[in-house]
Amino acid sequence: MNCLINLKINGESYQLNVKPNLLLLDLLRYDIGLTGTKRGCDTGECGVCTVLLEGRPINSCLMLAVEANEKNILTIEGMAKDGQLHPLQEAFIEKGAVQCGFCTPGMLLSAKALLDANSNPKEEEIKKAIAGNLCRCTGYTKIIKAIISAAEKIKRREQC
Amino acid sequence: MLNYFVVGKPIPRVDAIEKVTGKAIYIDDLIFPNLLYGKVLRSKFAHAKILHLDTSKAEKFPGVKAVVTGKEFATNFDNPLVGSPLADQPFLAVEKVRYIGEPIAVVAAINQEIAEDALDLIRVEYEQLPAVLNVEDALKNDRPLVHESFNNFRYSPGFKPVENSNICYYIEITNGNIEQGFREADFIFEDIFTTPSTQHVPMECHVAIAQFNPDDSITIWAPDQSPYGGQNLIAAALKIPESRVRIITPPYIGGGFGGKLNLSGLMPIVAIAWKTNYRPVKIVLTREEEFVSTTIRHSSIIKLKSGVKKDGTIISRYAKIMFDTGAYADIGPIVLGKAATGSLGPYKIPHIKVEGYCVYTNKAIAGAYRGFGIPQVCWAYESQMDIIANKLGINPIDIRLKNIVEEGYITPTEKQEAHAVGLGECLIKVKENMSQKGEGKIIENRKRGKGVACGYKTAKTPSGANAFVKLNSDAGADIFVSSVEMGQGVNTIFAQIVAEELSIPFNNIRVLPADTDITPFFPASNASRVTFYLGNAVKKAAQDIKEQLFKIAQDILQVDKEDLALEQGSFFVKKEPERKVKITEIMKKTYPGGISILGRGTYYQYKLGSFPSHVKVEIPTTEVWMYASQGVEVEVDTETGRVKIIKVAAVHDVGKAINPITCEGQIEGGVLMALSNAMFEELLFNEKGKILNSSLLDYKIPSALDMPEINAILVEEAHREGPYGAKGLGEMVAVPTAPAIANAIYDAVGIRIKDLPITPDKLLRALKNKC
Repeated sequence: MNCLINLKINGESYQLNVKPNLLLLDLLRYDIGLTGTKRGCDTGECGVCTVLLEGRPINSCLMLAVEANEKNILTIEGMAKDGQLHPLQEAFIEKGAVQCGFCTPGMLLSAKALLDANSNPKEEEIKKAIAGNLCRCTGYTKIIKAIISAAEKIKRREQC
Repeated sequence: MLNYFVVGKPIPRVDAIEKVTGKAIYIDDLIFPNLLYGKVLRSKFAHAKILHLDTSKAEKFPGVKAVVTGKEFATNFDNPLVGSPLADQPFLAVEKVRYIGEPIAVVAAINQEIAEDALDLIRVEYEQLPAVLNVEDALKNDRPLVHESFNNFRYSPGFKPVENSNICYYIEITNGNIEQGFREADFIFEDIFTTPSTQHVPMECHVAIAQFNPDDSITIWAPDQSPYGGQNLIAAALKIPESRVRIITPPYIGGGFGGKLNLSGLMPIVAIAWKTNYRPVKIVLTREEEFVSTTIRHSSIIKLKSGVKKDGTIISRYAKIMFDTGAYADIGPIVLGKAATGSLGPYKIPHIKVEGYCVYTNKAIAGAYRGFGIPQVCWAYESQMDIIANKLGINPIDIRLKNIVEEGYITPTEKQEAHAVGLGECLIKVKENMSQKGEGKIIENRKRGKGVACGYKTAKTPSGANAFVKLNSDAGADIFVSSVEMGQGVNTIFAQIVAEELSIPFNNIRVLPADTDITPFFPASNASRVTFYLGNAVKKAAQDIKEQLFKIAQDILQVDKEDLALEQGSFFVKKEPERKVKITEIMKKTYPGGISILGRGTYYQYKLGSFPSHVKVEIPTTEVWMYASQGVEVEVDTETGRVKIIKVAAVHDVGKAINPITCEGQIEGGVLMALSNAMFEELLFNEKGKILNSSLLDYKIPSALDMPEINAILVEEAHREGPYGAKGLGEMVAVPTAPAIANAIYDAVGIRIKDLPITPDKLLRALKNKC
């Protein structure tokens, strides 16, 4: 039997009739067509399916769509606002933090959750915040530099 | 120093914007009309006869549209076998299974769940056979045979396995007189080093979509490093023309590292697509399947014997290399050949002998893995180098500087002239970048040490490379090449090359995804060869366009070619710079009806007949070496055996960094991957040949918490043939890290670990034994 759920994805409201065993990841990728959220392990270990649920990073492969009922979800497609990239997205481009790109959406969302809660994180705090997002290409060096740079950008913009 | 306007600049990647906004397309993002989903039934036994296979219940399961078995496919296509240089592998097992995880049958259904449920309805009766699960057993006389006979296999000249044995490939290389070399030595060093099997673990699992067409051709969409390689293998196996196999790669691939080569792990999709009545079928491997059924790195046993003079000069070296290639050859013989030619290190050694064995076992198939056999041999020769240095009381960097090859030296294994050797500079830069011993806080039970290692690797020769460039009427350009963008940054550097040559804006140049029907030949985005070979072809294609534009500009400006120059998108008369014409004006004025200008580029560098007579098996040699040295600082906790890697200085000779920021990124990522290979990673097989740690929970790859400080440093010893002097980089980054770590651990606590990975329990045991 299907369940009726209401949820907001990237600020847009959806009312959907879903199977009770549908994963949030599959809802996003196949029912809504937001393929920026990736699938990497289906067991919550790699973090490429990370989205923000009420501002907090979760593995969408470990959550049922019905559990997201009445919740706000942010995916990578909703990170830029009004055609303007988020400072983290800008910094990832500028600092060379992107290689194959498969971990990038989840990585950016974990970083966003961190900066939203802590505008001035220490390097160790950054490492902890993205420890659930595995990357096999970059060695994380430039990702951490990009997150530091984004935090500075946000601060500068707030001061203006 | 030539002044380039985009080459050599740290320009942000062209693909970054799509990737940070979630718009980048990977294969699993594609959904086709009438798409079916395939699931593969895999062997539960390492070695067994298939007595009976009953798929009737699965076929009747609602939602199942097709089921295919190995026997059915083999009968229809006259026993097709896949592989190069040795075709030994069926698309699906036919009479026997040879490793746990081997594909036996495939189900295609309207969704994944149904396909998966239907797998449970297939009944297989096996007769178990004794299995051979390690290389040393496999080489014994009374061992079971993984393959009973090699008579039905297709193979390239020189690549027939040794009959009635498990030896898939044997290679021997000699030079000088090894016995004399050992007699003349003051010291002889003999050690055995081992490395484990490891997985590539790209973040994107293997995936493909395949469709048979009514003209009996097949189209496959796959994130593959080698679309032309996959095309060739399938066409040869099915005995159809290559043009009947079309491989289309997506714009982006979620990591390769050698694991996504020649459609390895994906061949069952060909069999099921043949049965779906022209409906497309998608197979996505689960992370567990990724571990058990895609290629892995060869585990190795390497015996190294070196004869050394009192002053540290190495005069003789013997290497015996044994690689576990698993149940099928895949590209194993080539990996072993590369390891054998690189096994003595970047050193001038007059008397040498190398014996290499590529050995079949009833285990997962080993294939290409970043470094292609070189990390294994570098582990051996660079660990032993420090054993030698320590015994003779010579500084580890000095002993290397004393022995390294120099410009013009004829290398002992390839018998080719070393060129553009930046290795000495790499070693010196490592020395400069390492802190003095004892620096930092000293805590009891935590001992600090530092270590260095160096290495070299060739880019594959021969390698043909073709490129087309299309200059559009708005002076943008499209590059048609069969490289793939899997994170390494190739699309960015090719755009830089075309921008440089044509003096047009970088941001209006794009690289098309590889498609064997459209983009011209390139063997594979592997072997660190893309920048050197294909970069040259792209440069030539752009120059072809430039030549055509020069002719048109000459006509417009009415001057000779030598009086014309091209800068910032305009041709101008050198003596009268105000007389000029923009490329966009040329395109519009000369061709008001619209046109594109087409450029062709071909690069092929290989001297025919250059195999030296003493090399008993003809193996492709090289024209390009990459050199590197890495230094590592560690802190060893003597109570727990834990090793903290504090810092890595990674100095790489890239010839010319076309984009320094992507080079740095490759180095940082490759060092962490190699560190992980050295410290964490090992596929554990049980006594039945089953991989025990087939998940990311049990097989750890590093997170951000595991990263040390990595200083990526570039050396630019230009290669005379390289585009702007560039060589390659992608594999070399993962070569010297492990021995540098082991050497640093020895420096810290006096323990010599010879078997990777260097786990805390191993080190703690050694520390206890030492006391």
